[in-house]
Amino acid sequence: MTALLRYQATLLIRSHRWLAPLLFHGILLCIGVRPGEPVLDSFAYAAAVLLPTTAWLVRVCVTNEPPAARACAAAAVGPVRAHLAALLTALLASAALGTACAAVVAAVGAPRSTDHRVAVPLLPATLAGLVAALVCALLGVAVGALCNRPLLRSTAWAVPGTMLVACLALFVWGSPARAALSRLTAGSISGSVPVPLPPLAFAAVLAAGATAVACAVSRRRE
Amino acid sequence: MRLTGVGRRYGIGGPWVLRDVGMELPAGALLRVQGANGSGKSTLLRVIAGIDAPDAGRVEGRPRTAYVPERFPAALPFTATGYLTTMGRVHGLGRAAAARAAGEWLERFGAGHHARTRLSQLSKGTSQKVAVAQGLLAAPGLLVLDEAWTGLDPASRTVLDRAVADRVADGGTVVFVDHDPGRLAGRADAFFRVEAGRVRREREAVPVAEDRVRIEAEGPAGAELPPALPGDPACEPVPGGRPGAVRLTVGAAHSDELLRTLLAARPAWHIHAVTPREANR
Repeated sequence: MTALLRYQATLLIRSHRWLAPLLFHGILLCIGVRPGEPVLDSFAYAAAVLLPTTAWLVRVCVTNEPPAARACAAAAVGPVRAHLAALLTALLASAALGTACAAVVAAVGAPRSTDHRVAVPLLPATLAGLVAALVCALLGVAVGALCNRPLLRSTAWAVPGTMLVACLALFVWGSPARAALSRLTAGSISGSVPVPLPPLAFAAVLAAGATAVACAVSRRRE
Repeated sequence: MRLTGVGRRYGIGGPWVLRDVGMELPAGALLRVQGANGSGKSTLLRVIAGIDAPDAGRVEGRPRTAYVPERFPAALPFTATGYLTTMGRVHGLGRAAAARAAGEWLERFGAGHHARTRLSQLSKGTSQKVAVAQGLLAAPGLLVLDEAWTGLDPASRTVLDRAVADRVADGGTVVFVDHDPGRLAGRADAFFRVEAGRVRREREAVPVAEDRVRIEAEGPAGAELPPALPGDPACEPVPGGRPGAVRLTVGAAHSDELLRTLLAARPAWHIHAVTPREANR
């Protein structure tokens, strides 16, 4: 698996196809995160933006190989592991991006509640922000896995589908992303720091389920 | 390795491309798959290589596998060596072994000077060499070649022929499809024909029945036959004939060209007899 991950990571890095989702992420972050704003609100915003970015990164990773090269790798390790490696690479890239953004937010944000009256402890707040980012990254992987090859093969369906479902996953009732983000914003209002662990567990289950479905289907079709 | 009752179709409810396929793939065997265009040869090879799972039946006992596609237009952001080393690791080699194997196979196919060239800049033939090297570098237990010879130059084809023979001699299984009926002629242990979604085993490749022409000719005293005769004729002395008289048997399609070559040779050959021989049908 390490060799496969290295192969996929090299493909991702050298293809430069990460540039577009990274710019998308960076621009949205520049719009929404301002120095001196309450840190928990900024963490929530940064995590929310990470969801569509991750879904996009998944699309990049699962469509990065030409079919001939994909067949060579699938013969060597089996289609399931080959597809799993692509999804994991996207998750790792997204986790790295989420961590870097959380560090920026922690550096520029004000460790205060929304009305700036209550001090918010920075370290637990950063932990909560990281967990929220991970929730969104996991959910982004689930969305990307279900809205792209091998389940949706046509670009005409996959691209709008990925973006639409990614936005839905942020706002729809019952979504772990929505739960994690509301905990952060509610905590910002009250000045307390709730680490959104239950949504993290739920998001992990969803991501694992979506990954299992996508990998199983990759045995049957391109 | 064994395929039992294997079926494969594209899409739920789609027509079956392969149906009820049973195949025995023993170790140390060279197996040839034949069939018309679109008969399902490539689908069968993908199932054998484990790239696609069968929709019915089962595949058991597949060893470590490598697959070489017909065309490898790999727009991958790697150099030839970089790709091969990475794939060697994916195939289960250690770092040093992968790098060594990558270099060795590129050299063997005469592509050593392209080691640092990006895959996207390689010619079609050199890309195919990289794909073939990818299949060979980890000495897989099962090697699946889907017209892997296409696009290779004659020297590289010979290298691949030899590598295939080595794999089989080492106890590996090699399954191949090739449009050239003479590919690895006489070396295959079994032949499978894909037809109308079914796969049946054939005793051997049926040679294409061909009308032949027998030409008896005599050269100037002590003269050798001109080199590279058209149609690569079978050559024997004329029984009971004069010394220097030869009997050449060649496919009817090449007979006129062969006659022209003999007559145009300097000094010219003298033609004694031309006898058409119909193939037994």
